[in-house]
Amino acid sequence: MSHFKEIFKYSEFLKSNVKKDIRGKYKGSFLGVLWSFINPLLSVVVYAIVFHYIMRFNIEHYLIYLIAGIIPWTFFTTSINSGMNSILFNANIIKKVYFPREILPISSVTSGLVNFLISCIIILLFAIFSGVGVGVSLLFLPLVVIIQYIFTLGVVFILSAIEIYVKDIEHIVNFIISMLFYVTPILYTPDLVPTKMRFILKLNPLSYIIEAYHDIFYYKQIPNMYNLGIIFGISLIIFIVGYNIFRKLQKGFAEEV
Amino acid sequence: MLKGNVIQVKNMSKNFNIYFDKANTLKEKIMFWNRNRKEVRNVLKDININIKKGETVALIGTNGSGKSTLLKLMTKIYYPSKGSVETKGKLTSLLELGAGFHPDFSGRENIYFNASIFGLSKKEIDKRIDKIIEFSELSEFIDNPVRTYSSGMYMRLAFSIAINVDADILLIDEILAVGDQHFQEKCYDKLMELKEDNTTIVMVSHSLDSVKKLCDRAIWIYDGIVKMDGNCNEVIEEYLKVCR
Repeated sequence: MSHFKEIFKYSEFLKSNVKKDIRGKYKGSFLGVLWSFINPLLSVVVYAIVFHYIMRFNIEHYLIYLIAGIIPWTFFTTSINSGMNSILFNANIIKKVYFPREILPISSVTSGLVNFLISCIIILLFAIFSGVGVGVSLLFLPLVVIIQYIFTLGVVFILSAIEIYVKDIEHIVNFIISMLFYVTPILYTPDLVPTKMRFILKLNPLSYIIEAYHDIFYYKQIPNMYNLGIIFGISLIIFIVGYNIFRKLQKGFAEEV
Repeated sequence: MLKGNVIQVKNMSKNFNIYFDKANTLKEKIMFWNRNRKEVRNVLKDININIKKGETVALIGTNGSGKSTLLKLMTKIYYPSKGSVETKGKLTSLLELGAGFHPDFSGRENIYFNASIFGLSKKEIDKRIDKIIEFSELSEFIDNPVRTYSSGMYMRLAFSIAINVDADILLIDEILAVGDQHFQEKCYDKLMELKEDNTTIVMVSHSLDSVKKLCDRAIWIYDGIVKMDGNCNEVIEEYLKVCR
């Protein structure tokens, strides 16, 4: 417990890290921070053209369905990518200053969260102007976001710590993430999947999270609480396991990086 | 931890793995599992040190004897292979100049960034910022990017931040060698002042004269063991006998 207190004491370091992340990432580029919103939007446009106009997917308001899935997905992947490297990229301070190492992965995922929360405005704007509108289901958004945050942070704890010892975890993870994208109902709705294969979606924790976002933004209905409960449990377990792995492995960071 | 101690090192050993041909990737780990030649180097051997509140302690010894490693263990950058290292109270370490400085940010921004690494809140930094700038004597340069600083200016800024954190324990690793005469003296005056305020100071230094002035106690580390521990003047005398 005393360790959490310590992390809290370093919250200013966390804040300045997040600020630096968000501002520093696109430093020198013409559109600056806007890129973090334009990028997912551009991929949305590409998917919409490919799947709606070329492949003739017949999903009503397909654009909104895509956006409601891709933007939370981007939150997940960018957090994993920057979080995974957070220890490695900060080797110079790890070797020279003491601070709770957890701060680094936490700030990566938190900057992802801040970006995501701002991007939610884009989802809402699209939902309103396309005629889908918004519903009371929006009240459940914080709950889903918190679950996703805990889940992502847990995974990032594990990956960032392991990467120090096994460098090629990064490539493995990148492959798994791009595979996961297709076994998560982002481009398609779950009922388009042959019944025989639906169990794959059920095994993927991320599909529960993405479906909850679809419920909130697209179907405007209360997310399936039973599913959310399960994924919340899974997230907590991953978080606790991840945190403990991180605590164990962090002792060697300064020597190994 | 024994009563009165603020730093307690107990039966502590530290090993480093020296890899000759380190298998970093999974492929190398699997394919060359037998090629992973490494040598375990025993840097510190069964160290026992108790430091009480308000003591000023110098770690002396030749290069490579393990002094800096010991400091890093006290800061919790490294962890002991055996035994334990415990500390009590707010600990600040100045092991390397401007660790975590961002060359593109201004001196002022770096004060905020660097002090936050030491665990200060924004309010606490606001309260200290004038003191830090004044101590560093960087007045008109403080809003310039740090990459334009000379090494002396860099060091002055780094030192000013660390020394104004108000730590209970201050660990310093051979850094006062930079900076001109005037600033060095100023640093020692400041360290004296902290000593009066009952701050515990542990420093690694090769300038034995200044060590004599500042420290009450010296610990001589020789090849990873505590060779002698006691009154500063006596230990330095013995140390010099061997060095000559």
